[in-house]
Amino acid sequence: MKQMFKGVMQSPVTPLKDDFSPDLKTFEKLLDFHVRTGATAISWPHHKGESLNLTIAERKAFAEVAVKSVAGRVPVSIHVSALSVEDSVDLAQHAQQIGADAIIAITPYFWSPSMDGIFKHYVRLGQSVDIPMIAYNSPSYLEGIEFNGELITRLLEKLPNLVALKEASFNSEKFVEISRAALKIRPDFSIVAGVEFLAPSVPLGCVGSYSSAGGISPNLCKQLFDACMNGESEKARQLQFKLAQLWDLFRDQYPSSLKGGMVIMGRPVGPTRAPLPTATKERQAFIAKQLEELGILDTEPHGW
Amino acid sequence: MNTLIPGFVHTPVTPFTADLKVDYACLEKLLEFHLKSGAEAIATPMHVAESVSLSDVEQRAHFDFVMKHVNGRVPVLAHVSDSATGVAASRADYAQSHGAKAIICTSPYYWTPPAHMVHEHFAQVAKAAKIPFYVFYTPGEMTGTKLNTDLMLQLVNSSSNFAGLIDLSMDWQFMINIISNVQRIRPDFQLLSGNEYMVSAGAVGAKSMLTPMAAIAPKLMKDFFAVCRAEKYFEARKMQEEIASLYQLLKYHGFASLKAAMGIMGRPCGVPRPPLDALSPEALKSLQTSLHAMDFLSHEAKGW
Repeated sequence: MKQMFKGVMQSPVTPLKDDFSPDLKTFEKLLDFHVRTGATAISWPHHKGESLNLTIAERKAFAEVAVKSVAGRVPVSIHVSALSVEDSVDLAQHAQQIGADAIIAITPYFWSPSMDGIFKHYVRLGQSVDIPMIAYNSPSYLEGIEFNGELITRLLEKLPNLVALKEASFNSEKFVEISRAALKIRPDFSIVAGVEFLAPSVPLGCVGSYSSAGGISPNLCKQLFDACMNGESEKARQLQFKLAQLWDLFRDQYPSSLKGGMVIMGRPVGPTRAPLPTATKERQAFIAKQLEELGILDTEPHGW
Repeated sequence: MNTLIPGFVHTPVTPFTADLKVDYACLEKLLEFHLKSGAEAIATPMHVAESVSLSDVEQRAHFDFVMKHVNGRVPVLAHVSDSATGVAASRADYAQSHGAKAIICTSPYYWTPPAHMVHEHFAQVAKAAKIPFYVFYTPGEMTGTKLNTDLMLQLVNSSSNFAGLIDLSMDWQFMINIISNVQRIRPDFQLLSGNEYMVSAGAVGAKSMLTPMAAIAPKLMKDFFAVCRAEKYFEARKMQEEIASLYQLLKYHGFASLKAAMGIMGRPCGVPRPPLDALSPEALKSLQTSLHAMDFLSHEAKGW
């Protein structure tokens, strides 16, 4: 089976107007920017897209724009995780109804379920739709609630529509445990890095990334992926170091710093909703200086 | 400037007699086994050698014995960690004056000092060491003190012989952040993989690997390191997965399983000292069955 989710995939931020209301027009421009600059898939709204700061109605409205605006040029997956699993199921079924290509879901928020509880969570979500599902593992943000080899094995045996995993443990031991278990059962299963940690993961079976910096530096993201896939270790390492500097810059107050950086790149997407801060003018000036020192302003597209 | 690149570093266990004394006759055989198996350096006594279960007097006698037997054939790196800064510094001074080529030290055991005192601990040990000094970061075993890039940069400023970091975090963000930032200030700063998860560590810049499991599968570890050293990481993946399966098996059975597995491979070194337990007869049988099922171990030599 051909892998649908690989390469440098983009998870756009969520544009907001100055009064913090949804800015769907700018969202359309942003989606188009990502597709034109090489995104192999679109996935929205990851945490970078302030998923948990949007109402369910807003999420549905943005999702409809995403599917309609991308219009089949690349696959679109909708992140359906919400505090309440009931909302997640509702969002998943809505995604299918509007023609999304897949849903993506993280392990449950807040609670500390058993491994069997996490298994049942994914089975319920996966069986609530007929379209493919992508699982999302992020133990550092969810207090150690995470995937292991046994869980992914059970899920792959149970769910034929589980096609990919966004793997964001960023840990060699954990990555190898998941990848060797998953790819043994299903060699065409896509393991995708959360953020562009590609140099350490591509040799172990990773086939792409959900980009953090794609709104700022799509060229750099593509260069890193290509270097990794071509086995150009030294080049990949240097590009990885540069992207890690960008990640350090943006993970501070993520994603408000990223939105601040997009102002510098000529692609303003508005403020960030509370409780996250909005990048101040001073923060934007600091980001501008960093981007200049990294050579981003000279090598990446400016404007839409 | 530090010109030592330890490379393929074996970390022998400490053999004990039935009455739990250091078994020097066995240690001699073990050192010879590691040297003939391709060790390019010996690091001792690391945690796998039960360093914290050896008295200070035993550690020095053990070190003297290793130096005498290795007799300059490969560099010996002395692990000197202790709760007390003064004890670790004294051990470092002893080791460098008796022929060690480098010193290895963790953050203090038990205590969780403030950041400036963690720096002071390392700086004092480095000053006593004079020779290349490596910080050993093992957060899985020592959860109290977290190291970070700022501390590494402070050590670069305070300690001209600070040569690198031995990493057991297996954390990509941590490794990339450290090496990319510190090498900008000190280009010869080294990252060493503290265990055999070398594909990802190598891809982000590690040039050396410490290998406790060379005591079980020396051929596999040697072949694997050679491929990683050549930066042929795609080629290394299959071996990385085999190594991971062995690592997980030992992890499942606990600390005593390394020595137990050595016994199964015909290289008995006794059991760990208290407070660690030896494997139960049932666990030993289970370990034996699992090891026999690992095809890749059939290529490994049995006995000394």
